[in-house]
Amino acid sequence: MHSPSIASTHLHTPGEHHAEHQTGWARWLYATNHKDIGTLYLWFAFAMFITGGVMALCIRAELFQPGLQFWQPEFFNQLTTLHGIIMVFGAIMPAFTGLANWMLPLMLGAPDMAFARMNNWSFWLLPPAAALLLISLFVPGGAPAGGWTLYPPLSAQAGMGMDLAIFSIHLLGLSSIMGSINIITTILNMRAPGMTLLRMPLFAWTSLVTAYLLIAVAPVLAGAVTMLLTDRHFGTHFFNAAGGGDPVLFQHIFWFFGHPEVYIMALPAFGIVSQIIPTFARKPLFGYVSMVYATCSIAILSFMVWGHHMFAVGMPATAQLFFMFLTMLIAVPTGVKVFNWIATMWQGSMTFETPMLFAIGFVCLFTVGGFSGLVLSIAPIDTQMQDTYYVVAHFHYVLVAGALFSLFAAVYYWLPKWTGYMYHEGRGKLHFWWSMIWFNVTFFPMHFLGLAGMPRRIPDYALQFTQFNSLATVGAFCFGLGQLLFLFNVLHTIRGGVGPAPAQPWEGGNTLEWEVPSPAPHHTWESPPDIAMVRRGLIAQAVYHEGEDEA
Amino acid sequence: MAAIDVSIITKQNQRLAIKLALVAALMFGFGYALAPFYASFCQFLGIDRANASLTQAGSALRVEFDVNVAADLPVTMQALDGVQVAQAGGQVKARFVLRNESDQPVYLRAVPSFAPVRAAGVLQKLECFCFNAMSLAGNEQREVTVVLLVAKSLPAEMGAATLSYSLQAIPAFTHKVRES
Repeated sequence: MHSPSIASTHLHTPGEHHAEHQTGWARWLYATNHKDIGTLYLWFAFAMFITGGVMALCIRAELFQPGLQFWQPEFFNQLTTLHGIIMVFGAIMPAFTGLANWMLPLMLGAPDMAFARMNNWSFWLLPPAAALLLISLFVPGGAPAGGWTLYPPLSAQAGMGMDLAIFSIHLLGLSSIMGSINIITTILNMRAPGMTLLRMPLFAWTSLVTAYLLIAVAPVLAGAVTMLLTDRHFGTHFFNAAGGGDPVLFQHIFWFFGHPEVYIMALPAFGIVSQIIPTFARKPLFGYVSMVYATCSIAILSFMVWGHHMFAVGMPATAQLFFMFLTMLIAVPTGVKVFNWIATMWQGSMTFETPMLFAIGFVCLFTVGGFSGLVLSIAPIDTQMQDTYYVVAHFHYVLVAGALFSLFAAVYYWLPKWTGYMYHEGRGKLHFWWSMIWFNVTFFPMHFLGLAGMPRRIPDYALQFTQFNSLATVGAFCFGLGQLLFLFNVLHTIRGGVGPAPAQPWEGGNTLEWEVPSPAPHHTWESPPDIAMVRRGLIAQAVYHEGEDEA
Repeated sequence: MAAIDVSIITKQNQRLAIKLALVAALMFGFGYALAPFYASFCQFLGIDRANASLTQAGSALRVEFDVNVAADLPVTMQALDGVQVAQAGGQVKARFVLRNESDQPVYLRAVPSFAPVRAAGVLQKLECFCFNAMSLAGNEQREVTVVLLVAKSLPAEMGAATLSYSLQAIPAFTHKVRES
């Protein structure tokens, strides 16, 4: 076992580790250690998940039956808008960045992230951004209410809440870009000896590709909202038809960001699942190289399909066909991934601990979301389904059953490494089955609502939609309740769980993070891991064969 | 274990970070560049619905007339002159036939809209049945017209325009108030 306490060489400048001597709030405020920052990101994401979740429950409460019960339509629209923005930018994305912060240096054999101080900045931009979003609820005119896509002219006409949201998006974008620079630099420059790019864990690969995507598209979103801001206050007319601008241009720019953003939230999930399934199937990942190429293909294709979000704007048939076929093409690399996960499980010695359950749940439900996406990619069908609950069902299958379930899987998978204790398996499984059942009760009926023509973003609806809406609301409240069990499980584990965890709690884990003790000490890999140890893990993952380098 | 040369890796990291930050800055500019790029890209590929090359009408403007009737209205409407060619500075006259298919009188209005929207600045309505609400007696058939004045100079990039009418029912009370 490598001793992580050897402090021979590491990449911090002298004095940078002052945070380790600090306790209380100062430890977290001045944190430069990747584990501390990862923890901060994860707790922040969870807080935002609860905030966005409560908003979702407010939305569902209003939709329990027809008529207006709780909220006026204006506030309902604010709830849907903030729910979307908070879940995407506040919960899912920071959670993945948190995981990358915690796990990448451990998995790659690096002492820390490449830029420890910038890492601190990346995180501490998030709370003010979240505060701006929440404050917007209390300013005259209320929070933005034009949907998370912020389409003009609605967003151009909104009150000052929109300005706060725009500044918030600027901060969130800046944080994402800095976080991405850190992730890319860490992965490209700080891997353990012997770990070439095509030998690193798939989570590192998906984090790398995601970070590149973010650097490419987060500034484009920043540009779009800056144009919106100048349209609102400085007399420009980028999106103002009366001044010669074009509101549809905003949609083009937004979705040039927005579609890759979908994969920014999906690719890390693919990486997590690709770590977990081989561990619990006790087999190396089937088709590692094809998984890497599929990840890159998805990333490249994601830049070329934004128009499928705009089939209904009056696009020429030529352009519709172009976007339709390219969108369908994404199903190919995604299918490669799904088949690889299934092939990994095939004839494996599988056990079904909580992380594996969430990973399998992810594969099943994400595939459902993928198929409904394939349906929506067909332009004539999309024209029918545009802005109905079918679309809501589709993207919640992708983002809740996809991104969120993978995050739950990751938390249960690495919780022993983070805390040093084992979680309660029975309660973990209860959390999974509870979430699995109520998630489907919530979102599956939305397919039917959408097919029957119920529009999204409305507080009231026609009588024939009542039963499915009531069912979805019951499901949503139960699903929400289940997440308190998740919180309890995590807190219980932090306080000792069911007992201490060994360094390698899972039989099939072969990546480097399982070589350090549990809990992972504050400083790890201050000297790079031994090349023999790295090779042993790579051989077990079937990405390196004995004597390959010598040959 | 050989020690890592900290300074070399730090320099490598810094160089890479600067390159990546530069890419982010360029992408911010790319967002702005999309504004002019978007219009010229559509024209270059010929996928702009209003492109002159699609009309086969030379320098003139192809004007299409379209009608939609609300589902609850027992009225049919037909454009007798569905497609016309508008010459710069000239006039275009288009006729429509309205027929009440029920025994009861109906009160309706026609809501016009242009596509592309900027065609409204080129085709000015001199006379239009859409200016006023209308009533049709039971089973009555009536011919109505619209007369458009075409601008003296037609934008080069605009080859075709559509004037679409949507017929909508209005309650009898509202109709009477408007007539008075």
